[in-house]
Amino acid sequence: MDIECLVLGAGQEVGKSCVVVTINGKRIMFDCGMHMGYLDHQRYPDFSMISKSGEFTDSLTCIIITHFHLDHIGALPYFTEVCGYNGPIYMTYPTKALAPLMLEDYRKVMVDRRGEEEQFSSEHIVKCMKKVTAVDLKQTIQVDEDLQIRAYYAGHVLGAAMFYAKVGDAAIVYTGDYNMTPDRHLGAAQIDRLQLDVVITESTYATTYRDSKYAKEREFLKAVHKCVAGGGKVLIPTFALGRAQELCMLLDDYWERMNLKVPIYFSAGLTIQANMYYKIFINWTSKKVKDTYATRNAFDFKNVCSFDRSMINAPGPCVLFATPGMISGGFSLEVFRQWAPHEGNLVMLPGFHIKISISCCLCSKTPTQIRLDQDVFIDVRCQIHQLSFSPHTDAKGIMDLVKFLSPKHVVLVHGEKPKMAALKEKIQSELGIKCYYPANNENLCIPSTHHVKAVASDAFLQSCLCPNFKFLETSSEQDSELAITHNIAMPQLQVYDDRVCEGVLTLQRDQNPKVVNHNELMSALGIKTHEVKLAQCCEVSREFPDYRHEHIYSNMPPLLLKGKMPSQNTSHTVNSCCTSSMAGEELAAKTTTARWKLGGGFELELRFEYEIGGGAERGEMEARWWVFWDEVVLVEDGGQPVVWGLEVAGGGKGDDGT
Amino acid sequence: MERRLLAAVICTPEKNPNLSPESTAAVLSLITNPFTSDTTLSSLLDTLILHLQNPNSDHRKILSLLSALSRHHSSLCHRIAAAAAAASFISSSSTSIASIPHALSLLELDHSAEFDSFSDESLFLSLCFLQCVKTRRWMLRNVSRFHVRPSVLLTVLLGFTKDPYPYIREAALDGLVFLSNGIVVEDRSLIECCYFRAVELLFDAENSVRCSAVRAVSEWGQLLVALNPDTTKRDWSDALFVQLSLMVRDTDMEIRVAAFNALGKIQTVSEDILLQTLSKKALAATKEKKFPGQYTANLFKVPAMAAAFTFVHGLEDEFYEVRRSACHALQMLTVLSAEFAGGAVHILMDMLNDDSVVVRLQALETLHHMAMHDHLKVEESHLHMFFGALIDNNALIRSAARKTLQLIKLQKLAVFRSCIDGLIKNLELYPEDEADLFSVLYKIGRTHGKFVISIIKEVSQELEPSFDGKLGFNKVRTAALLVLAISAPVSLERRICSIPPQMFSYAVTMLGRLSCGLVDVMNQSNLLAYLTYCSRFTVASASEFSKGEALEFHSTGNVQLLKRSDEICGDLPRTSMDLNKDTTPLHNYLLNSHVKATSCMEIVLGKVVDLWPMIQLGCWDEVVRTLRSWKQELKKFICNSRQPAGILVFALKYVHVIKLLGKAWACYFSKRNLQFKGMGVLESLLGKTERRLKEMLNRYAGLSREETLHILELMLVTYTLRLSYGGICCFEDYMQKLNFVLSRVEYFRKEGPLELSHFVNELQNISSEIGNSEDGSIHKLYLLQKSLNLFSLKHFVLSGELKYLDAEVVVCDNDFQNPIPFISGLPVGIPFRIKLYNISNETRLWLTMTLGEKSTQFVFLDLDEFEGCNAIREFTFIAPFYRTPKVKYFSLRVSIAMECLSEDQHFKHRNGPKHDLVHLCKGKEVHLSMAVK
Repeated sequence: MDIECLVLGAGQEVGKSCVVVTINGKRIMFDCGMHMGYLDHQRYPDFSMISKSGEFTDSLTCIIITHFHLDHIGALPYFTEVCGYNGPIYMTYPTKALAPLMLEDYRKVMVDRRGEEEQFSSEHIVKCMKKVTAVDLKQTIQVDEDLQIRAYYAGHVLGAAMFYAKVGDAAIVYTGDYNMTPDRHLGAAQIDRLQLDVVITESTYATTYRDSKYAKEREFLKAVHKCVAGGGKVLIPTFALGRAQELCMLLDDYWERMNLKVPIYFSAGLTIQANMYYKIFINWTSKKVKDTYATRNAFDFKNVCSFDRSMINAPGPCVLFATPGMISGGFSLEVFRQWAPHEGNLVMLPGFHIKISISCCLCSKTPTQIRLDQDVFIDVRCQIHQLSFSPHTDAKGIMDLVKFLSPKHVVLVHGEKPKMAALKEKIQSELGIKCYYPANNENLCIPSTHHVKAVASDAFLQSCLCPNFKFLETSSEQDSELAITHNIAMPQLQVYDDRVCEGVLTLQRDQNPKVVNHNELMSALGIKTHEVKLAQCCEVSREFPDYRHEHIYSNMPPLLLKGKMPSQNTSHTVNSCCTSSMAGEELAAKTTTARWKLGGGFELELRFEYEIGGGAERGEMEARWWVFWDEVVLVEDGGQPVVWGLEVAGGGKGDDGT
Repeated sequence: MERRLLAAVICTPEKNPNLSPESTAAVLSLITNPFTSDTTLSSLLDTLILHLQNPNSDHRKILSLLSALSRHHSSLCHRIAAAAAAASFISSSSTSIASIPHALSLLELDHSAEFDSFSDESLFLSLCFLQCVKTRRWMLRNVSRFHVRPSVLLTVLLGFTKDPYPYIREAALDGLVFLSNGIVVEDRSLIECCYFRAVELLFDAENSVRCSAVRAVSEWGQLLVALNPDTTKRDWSDALFVQLSLMVRDTDMEIRVAAFNALGKIQTVSEDILLQTLSKKALAATKEKKFPGQYTANLFKVPAMAAAFTFVHGLEDEFYEVRRSACHALQMLTVLSAEFAGGAVHILMDMLNDDSVVVRLQALETLHHMAMHDHLKVEESHLHMFFGALIDNNALIRSAARKTLQLIKLQKLAVFRSCIDGLIKNLELYPEDEADLFSVLYKIGRTHGKFVISIIKEVSQELEPSFDGKLGFNKVRTAALLVLAISAPVSLERRICSIPPQMFSYAVTMLGRLSCGLVDVMNQSNLLAYLTYCSRFTVASASEFSKGEALEFHSTGNVQLLKRSDEICGDLPRTSMDLNKDTTPLHNYLLNSHVKATSCMEIVLGKVVDLWPMIQLGCWDEVVRTLRSWKQELKKFICNSRQPAGILVFALKYVHVIKLLGKAWACYFSKRNLQFKGMGVLESLLGKTERRLKEMLNRYAGLSREETLHILELMLVTYTLRLSYGGICCFEDYMQKLNFVLSRVEYFRKEGPLELSHFVNELQNISSEIGNSEDGSIHKLYLLQKSLNLFSLKHFVLSGELKYLDAEVVVCDNDFQNPIPFISGLPVGIPFRIKLYNISNETRLWLTMTLGEKSTQFVFLDLDEFEGCNAIREFTFIAPFYRTPKVKYFSLRVSIAMECLSEDQHFKHRNGPKHDLVHLCKGKEVHLSMAVK
C-alpha cells in the first residue's frame, strides 16, 4: 500500500501549513493553518480536495496540530465550525492553552481593526477548542485500532511538537516547525531513532547555514548596551511569544551580570499573559530554565516591569518590548512614531518580515523617511539594528535530523521552491534518500513498507533465544592499499548471528506463512538430514529433470550463502551464487513459480532472514524476506555429491567445490 | 522465640518446597536480628542450602535470603558462596536458570582464592550460551570479574554484538571497551572487525546501545590507529574523528557527552578537519575527502564534512554536560593546531558567559591550556568577557580567569589598562582574593614592563601620600598599583629605572601582604631585600652618582666590599646598596686607577655573591649586564699583563660559570619555559657548566681545599639541577656522578676540619637515602628538588697564587694553501711546535687528532723526553697519524689534552687515555692533501 501525501498548504511556500496523509487507509490532517499574506479565499487551504461532498468528519481520521502559530492553526476553527469537521483533534497541552489566545487576537485584529468580514467568531474558537484532545510528549495515543500517534519535542515555540504516526507497518513523522539548536528558553528538537517510511519536514531555511548564535547575542547586547549607556531608548518590536521571552531572558541575564539599572519594559497585553503561560508550562522549556526553576522561575524577570503609555516620552534610557513584531500597527507603531526621529534611539528589527511591513522597509534600506499613510510621514533618524534570532532550524539542522531518522523518503514543505530544490538534491546525493517537494494541492504517492506476517513456531522461538554466531573471513585482496585510498567498506572479518536465519519458512496452500525450526520441518516431512557438499557456480537450466526425490531441504551454511562464492565462470552463471532479494508482492509471485516447479509434497522451501526489530513496544515481529536460492542442491548422506535439479551445461561439470 | 522461629523454618523443606510468606518473614527476622545466635544462623543456612538444592523451590527467593544473610553475617560468606556456586553449576530447570545471576552475584562476596568459579572458562561459556537472556546479560555485564582468556572473551563479546536483544548488545560493547584496555591484539582483522562492528552499532535504534557503541568505537578506533604504520595513521585517526563527530548530533544527551569525551581522546587530527569543526560550510580542503566508516545505516563512507560545526554544536548545546565535555575536548585538540585554536577562541570566549559554573570553569581551563601552549591569541573584543569572569561570584572561576590572564601577552596599552582595572575591580569586590591577585599583578607586570611604567606614571600622584602624610594603602587600588609598580624592574623588557624609587619604599610598608601573595615567587626576606635594593638603586644611578657618591666609593668601597657576609638574606639592605653602587662605577674606577689586578678580581668575586639573590628573583637581564661588564674588566687586565696571571683567568672562568649556572637556574625555576621549550636549553646550559667546572678543577694548580670544595659544590648544584628536572632518562649516570663528587667532598673533610654548607649536607643525606632504597630512587627526586632551595652562593675567596695549566700547539708550515702531503693508507708524520705552561712531568698529556666527528687518535706526550722546566716548556714533535682516509684532501683537528686522574670516569680508548680529558688549548686545524707525483 502506498502512503499518499496531499499537500493542501505550505507546498513550495511558507504559510497555511496543511498536509493530509493517507496511510493504509487512515487519513490524517497535519496542521490546519492560514496564510497571513492573503485576504481572499487563498488564505485557507482548499479543503474541497479532501472531500468533494464536504463530509469531512468521515473522510479524515484525525487532525494533528503541531504548534500554535497561525500558519499552522489559523484555519482550524473555520474548518471545524464552518466546514463542519467533527472528528478528533490532537495538539500538545501548551498549544491547546495558547491557541485560543492567538486565534482570538487574530480575529480581533481582522474584525475590529481592519473591519473585515468575520471568518469565525469567538464562540467558534471556544467550541473548536473543546474538540481538542491534548497530548503530552512521548505519550503514545491510540487514535483508533490501527493508528498510533506520538508527540516529540520540537523546540521552535512553546508546545511545538513533531508527530509520529503509525498505521500497521507504515510510519511517518511530520515535523511541523522545529529547531535543532537550543534557545535560551527552549530546548532543541528531540526524537527517537524510528523506522520510518516518510519524514515530512519544514524547510524554511533550506539553504541557509547559520553561524553560532553566540556572536549574534553578543552583537545584540553590545548594541543595546551602547544605546542605553548613551541615554537612548531601545524599541524591540517582537511577537508576543517566543522571541520576546528569548530576548528578555538574554537582556535580563546581561543586566544582572553588568549590574545595569536601566528599566526594561514589557508593553502590557499579550506578552505578559504569555509569560504566565511560560511559567505554567515550565516543563516544556529548555533544560536551563528547568534547572534554575529550583531556585527561581526564569520567567520572573528581575529587571522587567510593565509599561504605561504615559511613559513613552519619559526622560532617560529604557528598553521596551512592544507588539506586534512587524510594526504593522498597534503599540509598536505608536512607539516607533515617537522614538524614530531621535538619533540616540535604537530600533531592533526581527529577522523575518512580511513584504509589506514597515520593518521590511527599514531593513531593505535605511530610509530617512517612512510613509505611513497618505499624509503621515515619519522621519527616521534613530539607529536600526537587525537581529535574526530564528526559531527555525537551518539547512544543517534539517540534514542532521533527516540523517538521524534515515527514513526511506523525505517530503519537504514550508519553504521556498528554489531552495527546496537545492535541499532535495543535497538529501538525495548525500544521504541517498528519495526526496520530494510537492506544490500545493499536489498528491504524492510513496510506496510504503508492508510486511507479511508469519507465525513462528515455539521451537523456532526457543532456538532464537540461543546465541549462535559465526565469524566469516572474507577472502579479499583489498588490504592496506585500500585503507589508504579510503575505499574500505567492510572489514575482512565479519560477525553473523544466524539464529534468526536458522528457521525455515513454509508456505502451504491457503495457510499463513509459518516459520519453523529445521527439526520440526524434517520431522513433519519425515526426512533425513542432508548436507550440501557441492556448491559451485555453474549454469543452471530452468527445467527440473526427473524429480525422483522429495527431499527438498537445504542446509547450506550461511557462510556460503552470504559470502562471495568463488565463481570460475561468472559470465554465464544464472544464479546459484548470487543472492537476490524481493519484497512484498514480488515475493508472492516468485513463490508461486517455485512451487509449481518443485512439485512433490511441498510448495516451497526458502531461506529467509528474520529480524526482531524495534524492541518490545512493536509487539509484533517483522520479517524481511530474502530469497537466496532458486533451486536446491542436494547431496545424499555419505554418498557421492549429486546435483539435484541442476543440469550442467556446456563444459561439463564444474570442479567440485566444498 | 528464636528457636520457635527456627523450628518454623526448618520443618518445612520436605513438605513445602516453596517457603511460605510467614517462614520467609521468620527467616528475615532471624537474619536481621543482631542477637541471633551463631548456631541458629548456621542451621538456618543449612536449611536454606537444602532449599536451594531442591529443584522445585523458588531459587530467587532463597538466593535473596542468602544474600541478606551474607550481608548481615559476613562470617558465613564462604559457605554461602560455595552453595551459590553449586547452585549455578546445577542449573537444569528453567526456574533455576533464571536465578543464576543471583547466585553468581553471591559468589563475589567470597574473596578466598581456593574457590573461584570465575576462573572456570567452560562455566562462563555455558552460562553465556544459555537460553536465559537475563543470565547472559549478567554474564556480559560482569565480564570483568571472570578470569577468562582474552581471546575467548573477545570472540564471545564480538559475537554478542549481533544479539537481537539491545541490552545484550550494549553489555557486549561495554565488555569490548573493558577488554580494549587490558589486552594486546595484534590481529588487524580482529581489531578492524571490532571497530566496524561498533561503528555499525552507532546506528542502532536503541539509545543505550548507541552510547556504548560510541565508547567502543573510541577505544577500538584508538587501537586501530595505533596499529597502523605512520603513513596511514593520520588518515585512520581522522577517520575515527569524523566517525565520532557524527554522533554529536544525536538527540540523546548522554551519547553527545560520550561522543565529545571520545573526541577529546584522539591524539592527532588533521588541521583541515579541525577547522571544519568550526565551520558549517564545507571548506575546500575537506570537501572531497572521504573516510572509511559509516555515514548512515546504508552509506559506508564518511565524508569529512560530517565533522562540520561539531564543536559549535557542542558548545551551543542545551545540556551543560555536553558543553563541558565539548570544552574539554577542545582543550585537548587546540594543542594540535594554532589556527584551530585561534578559531576556537572566539566561541570559547562566549562560553565565559555560560550560566553553568562547570562550563565556565572548563572553558577557562581550556583557555589556560591554550595559553600554556602559546595558542591563545586574545583580541580586544574578547577581553570584556574575561573581565566578566574576573568579577564572577564564584571564587573558582575568578581564580581560573586570573590564572589564564597572567599568561596572556597584551599588545596595547589600553587593553592592558583595562585588564589592570578588571583585576583591581576583582580585588575591590572580593578582598579575599588579595594574595592570589597580587601574585597575578606581579606576574603580569613582569611580562608587560613597558605598560606598567606608563601606567605608574599616570597614577603616581595617586600613590603619593596625602597631605597629612598618610599613605592610602588601605585603599585596595593603591595596593594593587604598588604591586604592579614593583614588578617592573624584573620585567623581561629591560626597563628598570623608570619607576620612581619611592614606590618601592612605599611597598615595603605592606611587606606582609605582599609576601603573602608573592610566596611562590620569593620569600619575605628576599622580597624585602629586593624592595630595598630597588628603592635605592635608581637613586644611586640616576641622580646621586653625579653628586660624588662615586668618589666616596673609591675610598671606602674596597674595604666594605670584601667584608661581605656569606648569607644572602642576612644583612641585605647593605648588600644591595653596595651592589648597586658598584655595577657601573666599578668600570670607571678600574679603568682610571691602577689597582692591582688581584684586587679587582677580589672585588668581582665578592660581588658575584650579591648577584645570586637577583638571579633568584629573576632579574636576569640586570645580572647578565653586570657580569658582562665584569668580564670585560677582567679581560682587560689579562691582556695588559705580560703573561696570563692564573688567578685572573680563573676569576674570568668563575664569572662565566656563574653566568651559565645562573642562566640554568633561572631557566629551571621559570617553570613555564621549562615545560615547553626549556628542556633542550637547560640541558645544554648544564652540560656547558659541567665542562667549565671540570676545567676549573683541573687546569689550575694550587687550588686550596676550600676553593676546590667551592667548585665541587657548584658541580653538585649542576648535577642536582640536572637530576631534578628529570629531562633525560640518564638518572643513574648523574646519580653516580653526584655520588662521586660527594665522596670527594667527604675525602676533603676527612683531611681536615671543613664547614660544609646546608646544601651539601642535605645532599649527602639524600644520596645515602637513595642509595639505601632499593627501587624508589626516582621517587626521591622531589628531595633533590627541595634541596636546591638550600643552596646559596658563597663568597669565593682565593687564598694564594694559582698556576694556569696551558698549552699552545702550532703546526709547522701548514695552512689551507700549504697542506702536508700524504699517501692514503700510509701513516703521515705531522710536525708540531708545542708550548706548555705550568705543566709538571707527572701530568699525562695527550695529543689528540680528530678526523671528522668521531674518529680520534691519541698520541702520548712523555714530558721527560722534552727539555725545559715545568713553568714553560717548548719543543717540536713529529706525531704520526695512522689512519689516513682514501680522499684527496682532509683536515684534522689537533689539540692537547690532559688526563684528569682525579676524574672517575673511564674511557675505553685502546692505547689512549683511561680517564676524562681536559683540553688545554683550542683545537687547531691541520690540512693534508694527497701527495702529487
